[in-house]
Amino acid sequence: MYEFDWSSIPGALPFLWEGMKVSLGITACAVLFGIAWGTLLAMARLSALKPLAWLAAGYVNLFRAIPLVMVLLWFFLIVPQVLRGFFNLDPNTDVRLASALVGFALFEAAYYSEIIRAGIQSVPKGQISAASALGMSYAQAMRLVVLPQAFRNMVPLLLTQAIVLFQDTSLVYVSALADFFGAAYKVGDRDGRLVELLLFAGAVYFLICFAASQAVRHYQKKLNAHVAH
Amino acid sequence: MISIQNVSKHYGAFQVLTDCSTEVKKGEVIVVCGPSGSGKSTLIKCVNGLEPFQSGTISVDGISVGDPKTDLPRLRSRVGMVFQHFELFPHMSITDNLTIAQIKVLGRGRDAATDKGLKLLDRVGLKAHADKFPGQLSGGQQQRVAIARALAMDPICMLFDEPTSALDPEMINEVLDVMVELAHEGMTMMCVTHEMGFAKKVANRILFMDKGQIVEDDDKDSFFGNPRSERARQFLAKILTH
Ligand SMILES: Nc1ncnc2c1ncn2[C@@H]1O[C@H](COP(=O)(O)OP(=O)(O)O)[C@@H](O)[C@H]1O
Ligand SMILES: [Mg+2]
Repeated sequence: MYEFDWSSIPGALPFLWEGMKVSLGITACAVLFGIAWGTLLAMARLSALKPLAWLAAGYVNLFRAIPLVMVLLWFFLIVPQVLRGFFNLDPNTDVRLASALVGFALFEAAYYSEIIRAGIQSVPKGQISAASALGMSYAQAMRLVVLPQAFRNMVPLLLTQAIVLFQDTSLVYVSALADFFGAAYKVGDRDGRLVELLLFAGAVYFLICFAASQAVRHYQKKLNAHVAH
Repeated sequence: MISIQNVSKHYGAFQVLTDCSTEVKKGEVIVVCGPSGSGKSTLIKCVNGLEPFQSGTISVDGISVGDPKTDLPRLRSRVGMVFQHFELFPHMSITDNLTIAQIKVLGRGRDAATDKGLKLLDRVGLKAHADKFPGQLSGGQQQRVAIARALAMDPICMLFDEPTSALDPEMINEVLDVMVELAHEGMTMMCVTHEMGFAKKVANRILFMDKGQIVEDDDKDSFFGNPRSERARQFLAKILTH
């Protein structure tokens, strides 16, 4: 019978917290860049310029058809070389974090763009007509009238996607970055307490994601009640 | 003011407008009526370039709408438009609805824009609702705000696309009253509407459309007295008995 021994966890908490900061940082960056880039992709897909729409559709379909872990691995292998060559960096500069961020952002943008595209399409066409009739350019109509309404409807979906993304950050272990999962793994490996550490890490992921999705549901209810009025 | 010459438009093989021509002079009120699907909305949306058309010319205040060199947003900022479903911006307060285009399109200062917006809001009888959101107003109130929003841009003419047909009957008159007042002040107006009471009161001419064509373009008295086409007669008989 396996004997659990949790004693290595309290001492490792500061190190684990550093890892958690990396995980949260990657999540925040990937969400922000994913939404920004995803918004551009969504507008490109809805654009009247067919080649632009096709390019965006190709991008989205490509990234949605390959596993995230592979994208991260490619970026881990390729991006550091490119970044070093491009910015003339010292070969010892650590660009693992940067390549993980770029990989996540580009990958998540594909998912965000689909959410955002649906959000844009949920705004009635008449709103664009009204904005145009007042003399707004297409860009103004999008920025001032359509996107604010689209985003308000989309917030729950965007947050849900952010929760998924937070879980996915554990995949950066392929680049040996010490995110929360990586940190837990290292401590467990060092102390021969892998099972305990991974159970602990799992519990932390569960608590954070469960609490966040409850918050999203609460917000969604409030939003629905508001719309029903 | 508005000149429409031999305008045709099609979606693929489907002809929506066939060789439509008419003139709206400064200060005139034109009512456009006709069965559903006859192309009234399409025609009126061609006037401010919301819908493109394949042949013919439309000019507003001497500016050609179909000319690719025309700055359409600038032209549209001078042509007011009121829609069947109001199309207020639901995420903005009434005041912001009234000022946003003044500020972002005309470049007016916020204070001047707010002043102007509130004055017009008062004029349509809704001053007390300035801080509310569109969803908190009735349909008739929303449509009056929409008219005020268009007027805030100091338009040279106004286009109305069935402004009362989405309203409960008891709210129709509050909107028509605002439109009648506008007409009496000399606003140039092109109104798609089936409100024949309104047409009798203020219209100079009536256009009757059917299957994408302007079948009648008469002054009011001869239209109501004795329409020349059988289709217009049938249409009138139908809506006037309602
Ligand atoms: N985007 C479109 N594609 C194809 N047909 C259209 C489109 N918009 C309108 N139509 C058709 O054009 C005709 C005229 O429409 P519309 O101008 O809205 O008529 P009305 O306002 O008189 O009811 C209708 O038969 C409608 O089905
Ligand atoms: Mg119509």
